[in-house]
Amino acid sequence: MKRRNFLRHTACLAASSAAFTALSAKFNLAHAANRVLLGGEEYRALVCVFLYGGNDSFNMVVPYDQSPYNTYAATRGSVAVPRNQLLTLTPTANGAAYGLHPAMPELRALFNQANSPLAMVANVGPLLHPITKAQYDAGSVATPPQLFSHEDQSTYWSTPTANTIDRNGWGGLLADEFTGQNQNQTLAMTISTDGENVFQAGNNVVPYFLPPWGVETIGAITPSWSEPTNRRNAFNQLLAGPLDHPLERAYRDGFNRTVSNYTQMQAALSSAAVTQYETTFNNLFAPGGAEVDYLGNQLRMIARVIAARSVLQMTRQVFFVGIGGFDNHADLLTAHPTLLSSISRNLNAFYYALGAMNVQNNVVTFTASEFGRTLSNNGEGTDHGWGGHHLVLGGGALTGGPVRGGRFYGLFPSLAASASNPDDAGWGQIIPTTSVDQYAWTLARWYGLPDGAAGRDLIFPNATRFTDRTPSGTGQPHLGFLG
Amino acid sequence: MSRALYGNDQLRQRVAFALSEILVTSDKAGSLGGETYALAHYYDILANQSFGNYREVLEQVSLSPVMGYYLTMFRNRKPDVANNIRPDENYAREIMQLFSIGLVQLNVDGTPVLSGGQPVPTYNQETIRGFAHVFTGWVWGNCAVRDYEWCGPGADGAQWFAPMSNPQGNGWDNLPLTYHAYEGNKQLLNYPGVALPNGVMLAQPTYPANTQTPRQNMETALDNLFGHPNVAPFISKLLIQRLVSSNPSPAYVGRVATVFNNNGSGVKGDLRAVVRAILMDPEARTVPTDASGRGKLREPLLRLTQYWRATGATNHTGRLRDWFVHWPGNYVPQYALGSNTVFNFFLPDYVPPGEAALAGLVAPEFQIQTDNNVVGFSNILDGLTRYQHNGNPPTDPNDTYTRANLASLRLLRNNVDALLERIDVLLMSGQMSPHMRTVLRSYILTFNPESEGGYKRVEEALWMVMMSPEYVIEK
Repeated sequence: MKRRNFLRHTACLAASSAAFTALSAKFNLAHAANRVLLGGEEYRALVCVFLYGGNDSFNMVVPYDQSPYNTYAATRGSVAVPRNQLLTLTPTANGAAYGLHPAMPELRALFNQANSPLAMVANVGPLLHPITKAQYDAGSVATPPQLFSHEDQSTYWSTPTANTIDRNGWGGLLADEFTGQNQNQTLAMTISTDGENVFQAGNNVVPYFLPPWGVETIGAITPSWSEPTNRRNAFNQLLAGPLDHPLERAYRDGFNRTVSNYTQMQAALSSAAVTQYETTFNNLFAPGGAEVDYLGNQLRMIARVIAARSVLQMTRQVFFVGIGGFDNHADLLTAHPTLLSSISRNLNAFYYALGAMNVQNNVVTFTASEFGRTLSNNGEGTDHGWGGHHLVLGGGALTGGPVRGGRFYGLFPSLAASASNPDDAGWGQIIPTTSVDQYAWTLARWYGLPDGAAGRDLIFPNATRFTDRTPSGTGQPHLGFLG
Repeated sequence: MSRALYGNDQLRQRVAFALSEILVTSDKAGSLGGETYALAHYYDILANQSFGNYREVLEQVSLSPVMGYYLTMFRNRKPDVANNIRPDENYAREIMQLFSIGLVQLNVDGTPVLSGGQPVPTYNQETIRGFAHVFTGWVWGNCAVRDYEWCGPGADGAQWFAPMSNPQGNGWDNLPLTYHAYEGNKQLLNYPGVALPNGVMLAQPTYPANTQTPRQNMETALDNLFGHPNVAPFISKLLIQRLVSSNPSPAYVGRVATVFNNNGSGVKGDLRAVVRAILMDPEARTVPTDASGRGKLREPLLRLTQYWRATGATNHTGRLRDWFVHWPGNYVPQYALGSNTVFNFFLPDYVPPGEAALAGLVAPEFQIQTDNNVVGFSNILDGLTRYQHNGNPPTDPNDTYTRANLASLRLLRNNVDALLERIDVLLMSGQMSPHMRTVLRSYILTFNPESEGGYKRVEEALWMVMMSPEYVIEK
């Protein structure tokens, strides 16, 4: 509540922007600012890849040792991935061998390589407190509201606490804190290639929704010759008001923001800083002229925006890409492999595109999805679950990058049938062993958010309820997948 | 769309569109893509029931194979413990969350019931499971139970237009006699005055010793749902938001919900009475003069239909083929039964950042007022106002553009005040401010009245008005 009041207060001040600029410097996390600005020019970006519908990650990362595989296969029945098709992963998770879905050879190669840039985080989901099955069954520990509901759980994956009643995401809240570090204060530091999303919703920074196929401009008022110019001048008088209705003013503000965003972005994307990489990007995302799908188009566009970072004068950005189709109640065996293949090919291409620009160590890409799916199957697919496995990709630690890749983090749950599964909330819905708070805080910590009351607790007030107690864990709320 | 433009039952079409944004299905779902006629039939269900009873809406929607496919209730089956199979919960959850009662208990004025400062959930996982069991065994209307797993909609797809059935008996070999879960108590909704004791539908012996048919079980379950006190405020507020205002006062919601609960003749769910109460309410019939946020952003599709209706648009092919409505860029990011998810194009509680958020206002339609949609709509409007009109008649028989008829507006080109007055009446209910009128007047006067065949002044005025803040916010 205190946090919200604080932000409401600063947002009010934003109306008079001069006063706000002065005050925001004071309010912007002083410690964070010092710590990050010491690096000065160092660029950092987070890229959220949201898998809408609830990715069946229990078919993405599968036990490979015979006995645990048999347990998995028995529980999953007709939707199990055959063992001999799994792409084995090395090293193991504390001695247990895992395999990747056969549609993901590119990510297998990244995981298995030396100085691996790819980490896997097991069984993450929204939680309010650590909770056991007994506590869940007894209702003795609070859980996020409306478990297993798409809309709610995608909100709670995106918001920093799993029971918030406002819809601000931790990407947007991080942007509110770090936007002051960008030299350019007129372009949103949050950019989405998939339109509106909760993750980037903040109090002050309004995200820019950039179409993945390229910048679009308003033809009637944008070209510089006389007719559009005259029209723009007249239209600006309409926008200037007086406008009596708050929604009229909201429309005006949005319109002006749109024009400012596309004007800047159009110029930047056509600059040499970007065009020098066009061939490289196309070869990576469309090898041999292959068709680029929606995810590929989004990630290629984000690579271009990152290439333009100096032109745009941005040192801190938060990106969002989203794809749907994961709600595989009925078509898990046909639809899901295509989606996993797209993730594998395009994350791989994005990783090497960042490498071509030598910013692999400055960008961390991670997956999110409203829930994992049920272990049990409904005959043709799986239903809404809770915890699920996730991927984190960035420069490998051996070459100074942030990601301690080639390893598994968190705890894998039992995959036994519901009646004998200590992690099962009932019906194959798996209780998360790592909270989204921990996962998100680990990412935010790398981004520059400091520990303690002035940083972590401000955005992730529940993070300290959790501790990474895995055998090689940090013993802290954050996990060890980022340095 | 033709009917939305030309039908003489405009209010029915408008309510049907509103219902289609509450009881959502979409051809964006893989299983329904290409099933155009089936989706049209689903829309007809809503249009036919626009002034019917909401209880009947719920039943026809629940029995529709379109909804069955969309929310995967179709071919749902009773539990099979040996194979770790249990009923699909998708429809059970969404019919409660989205189509009837919502997530939290409501007062009759739509405000949440609070307990210790916290909202109170309307249902839990047990309730979802209870309804999921009722929604088992449903398949094509002419399917025999032995064909349950593989029967189709028929060579001509006729079963898409028939209610689903729940076949029993006549099993072959070891095939089940029924896929409907008679067994087990089903925890449905429990609320004060609930008809079923504690909201529990009791277990029955399975077929053929069952005491109620699957259809009777569904009716019992829908009665249980419809009886919940949330239905009236929940659906009333959604309909007000779709038809009149994003931020209705609790009193307004309460007045409509009261009519929803009782149309004056003791009938609950009478949509004719509810729609009348919504549209005749003082809050709908006066222009807001305060910052209450009454009114709403016009949905892009409704801006389009309003423009075409106001200008008597026609298509020389005799059919509306709005090429840009389905354009991949989604320039008009909306078409009927075309939302990305079951949560409609936008959420009823969406709050745009900035001043509206600070004022505590919701503005659902702003969720699709994104950068690319702002740009896309204005560019579409270029084509609509400058090219797609009677001044540019089709020369190619394959031309599929829908054209506005601007002839009568063109007659006003030498009298800019009259032109603006007419557009104000046609598009803005006469609410154009003096400032807006002054700005437009001097801008329009910069063009020669005979420019572009005499259409230029009209084209410019239409583009400016339909992009203006005063127009896009309907008050």
